[in-house]
Amino acid sequence: MSGVSRRDLFKIAGAGLLIGSSLHTSTACAKPVKTAGRMLPPPKGNRVVIVGGGWAGVTAAKHIKKEMPSADVVLIEKRKIFMSCPISNVWLGGLVDMDFLMHDFHTPASKYGYTFINATVLDIDRSKRRVYTNEGYVDYDYLILAPGIGYNYDAWFKGDKDMARYCATHFPSAFIPGSEHIALKRKVHNFEEGTFVLIVPPPPHRCPPAPYERAAMIAYVFKKNRVKGKLIILDPKKDIKPKGPGFRNAYIELYGGLVEYVPNAKIKEVDPVKKVIRTTAGDFRFDDANLNPPHRAGDLAWKVGLVNPKTGWCDVDPLTLQSKQDPRIFVAGDAASVKGFPKSGDMAHNHTQTMVVKALVALMKGKDPKEAVRAPTNTCYSMVNGDPKEAIVINVIYDIDRKKGAPVKKKVNVENRRSEQLARATFEWARALYRDMFS
Amino acid sequence: MDRRDFIKVCTAVALAPPSFITGILRAEETSFKPYKKALLVKENGEPIRPEDVSPLKEYIFFYPYRSTPCLLMDLDSEVKPVKVKAKNGESYMWPGGVGPKRSIVAFSAICSHQLSYPTPDQTFINYYPKGKVAKVAGRDRVIQCCAHMSAFDPARGGEVIGGPAPFPLTAIVLSYEDGKIYALGTLGREVYEDFFDVFKPDLRRLYGSSRRAKELVDRCVVMDITSYTKDVIRC
Repeated sequence: MSGVSRRDLFKIAGAGLLIGSSLHTSTACAKPVKTAGRMLPPPKGNRVVIVGGGWAGVTAAKHIKKEMPSADVVLIEKRKIFMSCPISNVWLGGLVDMDFLMHDFHTPASKYGYTFINATVLDIDRSKRRVYTNEGYVDYDYLILAPGIGYNYDAWFKGDKDMARYCATHFPSAFIPGSEHIALKRKVHNFEEGTFVLIVPPPPHRCPPAPYERAAMIAYVFKKNRVKGKLIILDPKKDIKPKGPGFRNAYIELYGGLVEYVPNAKIKEVDPVKKVIRTTAGDFRFDDANLNPPHRAGDLAWKVGLVNPKTGWCDVDPLTLQSKQDPRIFVAGDAASVKGFPKSGDMAHNHTQTMVVKALVALMKGKDPKEAVRAPTNTCYSMVNGDPKEAIVINVIYDIDRKKGAPVKKKVNVENRRSEQLARATFEWARALYRDMFS
Repeated sequence: MDRRDFIKVCTAVALAPPSFITGILRAEETSFKPYKKALLVKENGEPIRPEDVSPLKEYIFFYPYRSTPCLLMDLDSEVKPVKVKAKNGESYMWPGGVGPKRSIVAFSAICSHQLSYPTPDQTFINYYPKGKVAKVAGRDRVIQCCAHMSAFDPARGGEVIGGPAPFPLTAIVLSYEDGKIYALGTLGREVYEDFFDVFKPDLRRLYGSSRRAKELVDRCVVMDITSYTKDVIRC
C-alpha cells in the first residue's frame, strides 16, 4: 500500500500540485479567447505560423526558410528550452548528460531568420486564421500545427481527473519531455528492491521501440545497482515490435532474471493508489512503476477540432499532411495519422522536411504541392546495454505511390545484433539531427 | 585559374563533353569550383600512383581545406562521365574516373545529409570497396553513412541512391598527369560553410583555430582509412 488514502489524494489534487495541460479533455472548438493585441504586422500572403517547437516544428521553421527565404516564418513554442525526447532513455540510463538533450530556440531562429515567440497558444480561430497566445495574437496565411502527443488518462480513469492527476504525479509517463523525465530517472536510480512495472502503451504511440529501450535502460541501472527485484514489462501486444529479437536477446542475455516480459497484457484497470494493475494477462502489484497511458494527438489539435475522435489523431492528406478539415493547416509530427509512419523524432524530422515543407513551399509558389513531395526515410536506434554501450537499429525506406497518392514502405532493414558500433552510431544519429535543427 | 587553364583542366580530367563546359557557368551548385591544385601523396611523401590505390581499400585525404575530408577509391573498372542531377533541378556533367583505367574517383567525406564526417575517433561515412557489402544499401562499391543510412553511388558522381540525403556528395575533381594524381577543385553542391560553422569547437580542438582549419592545401596525404581513424563504423 502506498500509505495515501483516497481522501488524501483529493487533498493533494485540490492543492493543484500538477495542473498539466496534457490532462485536458476538450474536444470542441472553443470560442476565441481574449488576449493582448496583435504581435506582428498583418501577413502578406507568405506567413507560415508554426505552433509547437518540437522535432517537427523546429525542423519546419528552418527548412521553410532554407527553401523559401522570402517566407515569413513564425515559430511559437511554450517551453523556454528544448529538451529532446529521443535519447532521453539513454540519459535515463545515465549514459549521457542532460546537456546532450538540451538545446536553445534562439540560435536557429537567428541564423535562419525566422521569428521565435516564446508563448503559450490558447486557441486558434481558423476562420480568421489567427493564433491566440498568452502574449497576444498572430495572423497566418498557413499554419503548421505540431502539438505532439497528449496522454489519454481517460482510457484508464473514465473522466476521474483526480485519479488521473494522482497517477500522472506519482507515476509520470515521461513521454513528453520535461519534469516527468527527471522524476522517472530519480525513481529508477533510487529503486532498491521489489517490483517495478513498465506499461507499454497500446499502438499507435510515440516512438514504437521506446518502451522496450526504456526497459533495457532501467534493467541496466538495476543490474548496476544490484537491485533485488525485477522489472515487469506489461505489453498489450502479443510480442515485442519493432526490433523484437534484439530487445528479447538483450533482456535474456544481459538482464536474465531481472526482466519479466508479459505479452497480451491489455489494461483492464489501473489503481495507482493501491498499486495494482489488472490486465488480460493477470493482475500485477508493484512497488514503483512507469505507468504509460494510451497516447493521442496533443491537446491543441483537439481544441482546434482537427482530431478524428475515433482514432485520437489528425486525419491528413497522406502526401502533403494537410489537415482534412482545413487545407490551410498542415499537421506535422506525431499528431498526424499517416499509415505506415511511426510516431518518432526521426520520422517527424523526415516527413516534415520531405513532405510538409516541400508541399507548403510549392503551394506558396503556386505549384502542385503533391508533386513536390519526396519520400521520407526513418532510422531508429535503440540502446540496449550501458556497459559496454550497445545498440540495435531499424531503418525504413519509403516510396511515394503516386497512383495511390500515399507513401508506401519500400524496404525495411533491421539489425538486431547489438553492437558498440551501433551505439556510437546512435549518438551520431542524434548529434546530426540536433545539428540540423539547432546549429 | 583562367579560362584557358580551366579548359585544359577539363580536357585532362576526362574528355569532358561540351555540356560540362557550358554547364559550369549556370549556377554555383552545378559549376566546377577550382581550388589550389594539390598533389596526392603517400604517407611517406612520395606521389601516389594509381597502382598504389587498391580497389579493395578505402582511402582518406583532406582537400580543399586541411580539415575537409575526402574519400579516394579505385572502382576497378572504367568510370564514365555522367550527368548528375543537382538539388536545384539542374544537371552537371561529372567527369568520371582518372588514371590509366579511368577508375579512380574522389568525393567529399562530409555527408550531404547532416554533415557526418570522419574524425580520428570514428567514421560513420565510408566507402564499401569491392567485396564489402553495405548491409543497408545492399551492395558494394558504394558510399554509405551509418548515421541515417544515406547511400551514394561513386560511379555516378556521388548521386544519392538511398536514405535521406537531399543531394549528391560534393565530387572532388581529379587529374592524372605524368603518372601522378592531383586534386583540382570541387564539382556539385558544397557544404563547407555549414561544416565550418557547426563543427567549430571540434575543428578548434583538432587544428588550433577556425582559421587554421580553413587553410587551403596544395599537397594531400592519402591514408588508408584505418590508419586515420580508430573506428570504421559500417552498417
